[in-house]
Amino acid sequence: MTCEEFKRVLPELGSRHGMEQEEHLKSCCACSDLVADLNAISKEARFLQGSEDPSPWVWNSIEVALRQEGLIRQPQLEHSRTPTPVLSWRLRWLVPMAATLLIVFGVLIYQRGTGQPQTTQQQSQPAGVVTANLQPADVMGGEDLQLLQTVSERTPSMRATYEADLRSVNAYIRDAEQSAHSDPNDEVAQQYLRNAYEQKAMVYEMALDRSLP
Amino acid sequence: MQRATSYAVVTVLVLAALAAAETTRQEMHFKVGRHASVSIVNQYGAISVKPGPGKVVAITAILYSTKVEIDNSKSRRRVAVFSHLLEGADAESGRVDYEVLVPADASVTLHSTTGPLHVEKLHGDMLVEGSTASVDVRDVSAGHIHVKTLNGPVTVTNVSDGLVEITSVGGDVALNSVNGSLVHVNTSSGKIHYDGDFGDGGDYSLTTHSGDIEAIAPAYASIEVVARSVQGMVEKDFPLQPEHTSFVPRAGSAFAGTMGEAASSVKLLSFSGKIHLKKR
Amino acid sequence: MTDAKKQQGDRLSEAEAIERAKQGDAAAFEALYNLHKRRVYSLCLRMTANTAAAEDLTQEAFLQLFRKIGTFRGESAFSTWLHRMAVNVVLMQLRKKGLPVVPLEENIETEEEAPRKEPGADDPRLAGSIDRMQLQRSIASLPPGYRMIFLLHDVEGYEHNEIAEMVGCSIGNSKSQLHKARMKLREILKTSRAEKATKP
Repeated sequence: MTCEEFKRVLPELGSRHGMEQEEHLKSCCACSDLVADLNAISKEARFLQGSEDPSPWVWNSIEVALRQEGLIRQPQLEHSRTPTPVLSWRLRWLVPMAATLLIVFGVLIYQRGTGQPQTTQQQSQPAGVVTANLQPADVMGGEDLQLLQTVSERTPSMRATYEADLRSVNAYIRDAEQSAHSDPNDEVAQQYLRNAYEQKAMVYEMALDRSLP
Repeated sequence: MQRATSYAVVTVLVLAALAAAETTRQEMHFKVGRHASVSIVNQYGAISVKPGPGKVVAITAILYSTKVEIDNSKSRRRVAVFSHLLEGADAESGRVDYEVLVPADASVTLHSTTGPLHVEKLHGDMLVEGSTASVDVRDVSAGHIHVKTLNGPVTVTNVSDGLVEITSVGGDVALNSVNGSLVHVNTSSGKIHYDGDFGDGGDYSLTTHSGDIEAIAPAYASIEVVARSVQGMVEKDFPLQPEHTSFVPRAGSAFAGTMGEAASSVKLLSFSGKIHLKKR
Repeated sequence: MTDAKKQQGDRLSEAEAIERAKQGDAAAFEALYNLHKRRVYSLCLRMTANTAAAEDLTQEAFLQLFRKIGTFRGESAFSTWLHRMAVNVVLMQLRKKGLPVVPLEENIETEEEAPRKEPGADDPRLAGSIDRMQLQRSIASLPPGYRMIFLLHDVEGYEHNEIAEMVGCSIGNSKSQLHKARMKLREILKTSRAEKATKP
């Protein structure tokens, strides 16, 4: 085998040489040196794996993005010894529940207006959501108290604001419900109700907004 | 007496110097592409956003103590800046004031508890959210403006060709020369004031639970209007063409009708507040 | 993040960290990041030869991974999953910039094509004398296509069939490019050593 022939097949062989190539290497210093150098480069290159550290701001940026996307969620509070899966489940569902209540009442009022049976109320609710309560809503419900508890723990100075706002929107919902029930065909009353629930959903969304620690 | 005054002056100067010494200034610059997205999350402090030259987001931040630091992230067209409160920070020590210059077509998202928040002269979309922060948006065109506050007052001025959605529980909302295909305001107890043309053939809906609504329009306004207050008084300064509606207008608590070509739809709804449609 | 939380994260095993990250645990995310950041960043740095670009790509690779962590079932090693993601992120970036991932033209002159040097010159083997810093600099000076294949094979340990699939070339092409990259590096390292030897 000549040096030219050896160099031609070298890319294909890599470090695995056949008998013919081994014989050539034993007799040719130039090719032997070449193979040794290429192997040394390859071997040394492996030490370069994972040898550099990124600057700390890379993790900071990742963490900011994860929080903004809601992928980082607040852990359960340490002081609560007994696990409260029901409460944490409810907290996670507060915002979509408020939005769902909006949709449910919209459907309910629409059905009353068209005289259709009310079977779709159950179907429109996703699994696990508390059924909409049609009792007067200006009294703080369990979810509202949960929300205020969360606000107290995260930003105590805002508790009074949220409490006053919840009472205000609950009163809105109460009046809007009464108006809608008294005349299901009243489009304006339906709009009041939608707006009232939109307000409540916004209060919950802002209270639970994880971008503001 | 003179000595006491001198001591007081010196004390004030020293305290001011100490306070000034605590503040630090940081500047950040980010190159961005077209239609960049800029997000600022700042619990305590002002955020002001204006258009700047070129495809650069330039941020100047004044930090009021060492108990707050700024994190930022940038990926492709998104710049996010976040005021990170350290242990022991409160509304004063955790305060950061931001001055931000963005490309005029950038989308902007601002979150703050105390604010104030100010945006001007942009034509991208914006989401401005403040709990008790006052919000001021002005000279904006062709974007989607979405404002949410708990009790912070909202002022939107000189908007054309926009989509405007404002939701506030207790904050007063003032719209001056705001026109667009959709202008919706929803408050619980906040007052609503509109002074404009109700133009662009848009859908205008100003609704509140217990706040008052004052809408000032010119005589040439082209609108189909419905106004109703369940428990409050309603008034209008314009004669309206009668038209059929889904409810019978009750004198004193509701009216409905058209002006001009009825190009825009206007709803003024309050449950217990007063409504007044005024002539400019 | 407080020191206590960071220490807690460090003590997590990878499997524990993955499960906790799926639940949104910040310390778990950070633990996973710390376990793999060097390898991902080093790869991005060597592929782009630019610190700022490498940091952006590292961020993007981890974000893509963390967004999908809920779908990770453990069929393959987590590090493999992450690494492939990092490589894909870099390749996408290079393609966007229009940079050749694999060179189309093989115009790089290598020793076997260059004029032979003067006989009698002392040209000892590189083995045992490769300066790692010099090797890093040499890799950075390689054309992007050669650099890509060399990094994936010799630094990161991918096989040619895997490289061919990732970069969209044939196995033969991958082998050929690797050989040429190594030949070029040999030439650069020898030249550098010779220059150092002649300096006073």
